[in-house]
Amino acid sequence: MDILPQIILNSLIAGSLYALAAMSFNLIYGVSRSFNLAHGVFATVAAYAVLFLAFHTAIPLPLTITLGILMAVLLGYLLERSIFRPLRLRKASNLVLLIASLGASIVVEALIAIFFSSQFQTLSSLLPPFGTLHILGGTLTDLQAFIIICSVVVLGVFWLVLSYTRFGKAVRAVSDDEEVAKIVGINTNAIIGIVFMIGAGVMGLAGILAGFDTGLEPHMGFILLLGAAIAAVVGGVGNVYGAFLGAFILGFAENFGVFFVSGEWKYAIAFGVLILFLLFRPQGILGKK
Amino acid sequence: MEYIFHLAILFSLFAIFAIALDLVAGYTGLISVCHAAFYGIGAYTTALLVQSVGLNFFFALLIGMLLTGIVALILGLVFSKFKGDYYVLGTLGFTYIAYTVFINWQSVTNGPLGVPGIPRPEIFGLSFSNSWSFLILSAIFVGVVYALARFVVSSSFGRVLRAIREDEEAIAIFGYRTSAFKLLIFIISAMSAALGGGLLASYLTYIDPGTFGITESIFVLSIVILGGLGSLRGPVVGALILVLLPEALRFVGFSPDIAAQMRVLIYGLLLVIMMRYRPQGLLGEYKL
Repeated sequence: MDILPQIILNSLIAGSLYALAAMSFNLIYGVSRSFNLAHGVFATVAAYAVLFLAFHTAIPLPLTITLGILMAVLLGYLLERSIFRPLRLRKASNLVLLIASLGASIVVEALIAIFFSSQFQTLSSLLPPFGTLHILGGTLTDLQAFIIICSVVVLGVFWLVLSYTRFGKAVRAVSDDEEVAKIVGINTNAIIGIVFMIGAGVMGLAGILAGFDTGLEPHMGFILLLGAAIAAVVGGVGNVYGAFLGAFILGFAENFGVFFVSGEWKYAIAFGVLILFLLFRPQGILGKK
Repeated sequence: MEYIFHLAILFSLFAIFAIALDLVAGYTGLISVCHAAFYGIGAYTTALLVQSVGLNFFFALLIGMLLTGIVALILGLVFSKFKGDYYVLGTLGFTYIAYTVFINWQSVTNGPLGVPGIPRPEIFGLSFSNSWSFLILSAIFVGVVYALARFVVSSSFGRVLRAIREDEEAIAIFGYRTSAFKLLIFIISAMSAALGGGLLASYLTYIDPGTFGITESIFVLSIVILGGLGSLRGPVVGALILVLLPEALRFVGFSPDIAAQMRVLIYGLLLVIMMRYRPQGLLGEYKL
């Protein structure tokens, strides 16, 4: 099994991207209590913003990436204000929110396809050729190592913020019970708005990293979202740490599954994992109830 | 004139898909986003049996529906345990799995190249090869599906479905095995969708996996939501509007690629607007 180290590395890379997506997905789910199927577009928009700015303006790359993430943050704010908050205030059911977010997702995806075409495009030409690292008999590019580091750093930052800041406490209070949080004087709408922006930014980062690592197409965000949603259910819906765990379980399941069958069946494996968890442990690994 | 027949046929086929979905989504309250997968299975089975085995279209259609029914039975056994958001997620997953199978099971489905040259239906020397005869055939099938759906929803079985939609726990307390009801309507709905799928394959004479992807599932859901969940006239009106509306784009003069994306954009926008301002749809009685 000399291919084993490589499969493990591939699982870690896939898991890290899912982890960024799933942690941000669960952070938002925690406060809004509904599946946001538009979460994927944050990744798509950020990646395409980088593509546009890098190839059509003279803005230096680090600033481009920052602007890309800011675009996702802005979109997160806009979606929350124009769709999610009005529906929440109307006490709309989860399904209404879910369908509205699905609609928003395909609108943004279609707009991107109209402006940038549905062709597969790459960002990797913007960077110097990737160096490769050899670890325990497997190889990964330095970008992929950076992706893994990013996911761990984001996990750490989430942990610090959620555990030790006033804002983090407020987020946890809203996640526990929005009504009670409101009664004790937390401005829940403001908290949910900020969480949407943070979540969108982290998802944007995931999209940009995926864009550099593989490439972009308008549906990329939705695919990443599906992984995030599965990881979220596996780890425990609404639980940021569960999402991290679920993402790596999904990454390993996919990559080892692909090794035994073949690459085309990745979706089938991912959704197989989802259905197993929904049947036997619907609350996920770290979920309560 | 041909163009009007073409639109009328498309309208009929999507009315069938929408009525089928409404039985599950509108009457039972289970938002399923895998109906394109079901009509895909119907379409592929019918097309392959007619084209490679040489079976009569109507016989092939029947087998396609039965096969879809069996797939729906197996899936339904799993999905009947879910509800709400998780139901959406599970059915979304199946759409991707079915798409994966259509595209990768190359020895049977011909993979991404699709199945070309599917013949039009023929029975007792009667051929439905031109547009107006095909329109009559699809109109008959819309009538049959509509009548069947009307029968289902006005029966006592249909009343239990609506009770499940409103409060599943309450109706379960009265001794109804709700998962059996959810399973049965899921199978009926999938088989109706497969019927429309077989017709679609024969009408288009060419199918490929892209005809049955997530976008199409969402399209059918948009039709039902626009028309109104839990009403049978709703999906028909929804299909009429959503089949005709994008045609206007053709006259504005967008390139086909952009027009296709504009079509998707309209569905998405409609979903958002309906959820925001009128979640029960134009004629619906079920408010999500």
